[in-house]
Amino acid sequence: MPSNITIEQPPAMNSSKAQRASLIRKDPALFSALIAIWLSLAIFIFLPLVRLLAATFIVNGTLSFANLSKILSKAYNVRAFYNSLILAMAVSAAGTLIGYLFALAITRTNWPKPLKWLLSAITILPLISPPFTSSISLTLALGPNGMLLKALGLGQLNFYGFWGTWISETLTYFPVAFMVLTAILTTMDANLDDAALSLGASRWRMFGTVTVPLSMPGIANAILLLFGSSLADFATPLILGGHTFPVLPTQAYLQITGLYDLKGGSGLSFLLLVPALLVYLFQRSLVGKRSYVTITGKTGARSQFSHLPHALEIAVGAVSIFISAFILYLYFIILWGSFVKIWSVNNTFTLDHFIYVFSHGRKAITDTLKIAVVSTVVGSLLAVVIGYVIQRKKFAGRRVLEFSSMLNYALPGTVVGIAYILAFNEKPILLTGTMTILVAAYVFRYYATGIRSVIASLQQVDPALEEASLSLGASSTRTFFNVTVPLIIPAVLAGMRYLFIHCMTAISATIFLVSVRWTLLTTRILESMTELQFSQASAFSIVLIVLVFIADALMLWLMRLSTRKFGTTQETLYDNTGA
Amino acid sequence: MTTPALELVDVTKIFQKDKEKVKAVDSVSLSVSKGEMVIFLGPSGCGKTTTLRMIAGFELPTSGRITIDGAEMTNVPVNKRGIGFVFQNYALFPHMSVFNNVAYGLRSRGESDSIIQGKVKDALALVGLANAGNRYPNQLSGGEQQRVALARVLVMEPKLLLMDEPLSNLDAKLRIYMRTEIRRIQKKLGITCLYVTHDQAEALTMADRIMVMNKGRVEQVGAPYDLYSQPQSLFVADFIGQANILKVPVTGIHGETVQAAMPGGWVLSARATIPERIEPGKNASLVIRPENVLVVSKAQKEGHLPARVMSAIFMGSHIEYHLDLGNMGSLIAFSSFKPGMHIFNEDDEVSVVLDSAVSMFLPA
Repeated sequence: MPSNITIEQPPAMNSSKAQRASLIRKDPALFSALIAIWLSLAIFIFLPLVRLLAATFIVNGTLSFANLSKILSKAYNVRAFYNSLILAMAVSAAGTLIGYLFALAITRTNWPKPLKWLLSAITILPLISPPFTSSISLTLALGPNGMLLKALGLGQLNFYGFWGTWISETLTYFPVAFMVLTAILTTMDANLDDAALSLGASRWRMFGTVTVPLSMPGIANAILLLFGSSLADFATPLILGGHTFPVLPTQAYLQITGLYDLKGGSGLSFLLLVPALLVYLFQRSLVGKRSYVTITGKTGARSQFSHLPHALEIAVGAVSIFISAFILYLYFIILWGSFVKIWSVNNTFTLDHFIYVFSHGRKAITDTLKIAVVSTVVGSLLAVVIGYVIQRKKFAGRRVLEFSSMLNYALPGTVVGIAYILAFNEKPILLTGTMTILVAAYVFRYYATGIRSVIASLQQVDPALEEASLSLGASSTRTFFNVTVPLIIPAVLAGMRYLFIHCMTAISATIFLVSVRWTLLTTRILESMTELQFSQASAFSIVLIVLVFIADALMLWLMRLSTRKFGTTQETLYDNTGA
Repeated sequence: MTTPALELVDVTKIFQKDKEKVKAVDSVSLSVSKGEMVIFLGPSGCGKTTTLRMIAGFELPTSGRITIDGAEMTNVPVNKRGIGFVFQNYALFPHMSVFNNVAYGLRSRGESDSIIQGKVKDALALVGLANAGNRYPNQLSGGEQQRVALARVLVMEPKLLLMDEPLSNLDAKLRIYMRTEIRRIQKKLGITCLYVTHDQAEALTMADRIMVMNKGRVEQVGAPYDLYSQPQSLFVADFIGQANILKVPVTGIHGETVQAAMPGGWVLSARATIPERIEPGKNASLVIRPENVLVVSKAQKEGHLPARVMSAIFMGSHIEYHLDLGNMGSLIAFSSFKPGMHIFNEDDEVSVVLDSAVSMFLPA
């Protein structure tokens, strides 16, 4: 653990009195904003982490490794650690490969436009679905009594464990790789391919010497993102892992909810936190090094001939179409499952499950929506303030602020959830059971994308625009609201869209924080699954997916509206998925 | 004596760059009268833009004072200075129509709608864009964006108009047209204007006075004619127009007249702008413009220097000769072209006549 995350005092306050005085005098607004930001980070990011570390390393009031070594002495826990890493490697390899094939299909073939549109639309589905969706439908298809197994005559196959988890996570996360790789393949100068071919290279040679090497930054980025996502994923192994395949997030969860062992849970979280943070730091430094390709409009047009080697194009086609069909099939199963009486026993059509969802599940629906809306509003306001301060202001500890504000985002949800119970379960800050703790968990985790897109978008806004406004007599407040904010609105909306989708669908952190007073759709889905009420789980999932779809369409429409007049480029929405 | 529109007193700006202190602007002092157009000219990195940005209030000077219309402005925020700033890339608000861009400052000031309507209309008419109010910046050409930027500033009737390389993003022809256009508007409104450029042609054609800067310091301030004919330093001589600089040994100084020994045993007398910094017995720089160098057929005479033609380039209005003077170095000469005149060829042996009336001495 880097020691700087235990700093509770903001560095700005550590610096000399003279400097502090000058900041108050020079920019009182910045000074008070910084105080407010650091205070909220101290409460909602540092305090929980400190409590987590304390629970892991402090035994009877002294620093000790006894707790950790006790955890590591159990073979089952060590296996969970290895399993987590192996699963993450397998998912990142398979997911990146599939993502790359999809990206090639979209950017390097001349297949008909509607087909390409369909392929990209299908990849969006796993991104906006709750994390259980593919687990549920895979259970229905490949689990005991699975439709697909029956159809293939493989009734006895047990896919619980590594294989089921791997397939499900790969299907859930490959769209992240797809988005990263599509972005890099699109920005690659179109004439490079043409140049290679005109210099006499074969298509395979061109692909191997131009396309792949230039995609490497994106491939590396995708591998790390998927590795992190799989490492953090909690929902999938909980349903599909079974007892034979423990991983760290589920172990930590069971330790706490099953055995009420907070110390054990904290220790396992710590084991999960270390590789997750390493991968995150590695990925950030990688992305930081990449030079951002700007589109100058001066490159020539892409020639209309497909440049992929024929065999590769056939492989791309086979894989992308097979996987798309499989995803559609899985969603169809869920839809179908939500409309039958008892899954695979009594297949008569019924609306009972939806009636149940809208009566007994109504509270979960309204709670989820309320929490998502509040979190989105609060989170994006914070993101704008923090992003603006980081990008446009100069003050001591700016880099530390940037890193600290995004820390929760880098950590697996399970870790954050456990840290939050440890921190907010007792006075002085007693928050368990309230809406505040759920909102805080979402805001300080998922506003990171908002902060990043605000920073990226401010980098595109020439400071001369703000100077122009000031020189025309506008105050700095007026400048901020009339010039800066309208120009970054598309980025803010992109951040809001991401925040909202995650508030609707995430579970790993909040599973520890729900209560009788506040419950969530995702926890209802999990409950239905553990009670083997597959049809109910499917109905909850369908309702959730439809709600997210509507909200997402609304956000997209707003984004389009806000960029129509002056055409800023939209930020890439997903550069990571927090499970 | 009337108050100057702008006064800079010993303005200095030190930037902290990677633990190293860089003096971007070094003790610049300047006084500008009302209605005057002063152009800051110099190579890139000479501190001219930083000086302008300190006048605007985008940067605060490390030391020194700035007054506008006699009022102390050194630490006043930019939005309280009453200046108008035209940016190199225009900085038009992309999310606002042309009308709203121009109206922006008036709205900040809280003017009524009817006044805004009238003033914006007048400002757009002044720059020749009366009908563009409803368009957006990305629908305008570079030249049109430039005019909107100008209108947006002029509508505020600022005490000072500050322009930072406003023409550098335009193509050559438009640049030349906009020069006269900006000068016309500036004169018509009688507005005090400070203008940054690295293009000497722009400076010479537009300025009342030019402030030449180099390495953060002021080299010379003066009317274009004075800078051209009486440069105070080799830098100015070389930066404004073209100049031949020959190193020659000084034999005597009489008042403002300096004498130097020339090859062939004769003595050349010419005036010196700062004779006190020239010493007899040492070298001085003889500065002469190419159009003041006469190329004639070879002759052994007093006032003639032997030379060899390295190249002769026909430029239309004149012939450009590159001449080798042996030990003295090389020289460029422009001979204005008249049909039927004799044109020397490469490798011809010729004589060069320096017009001592328009030559001058500067410290080496």
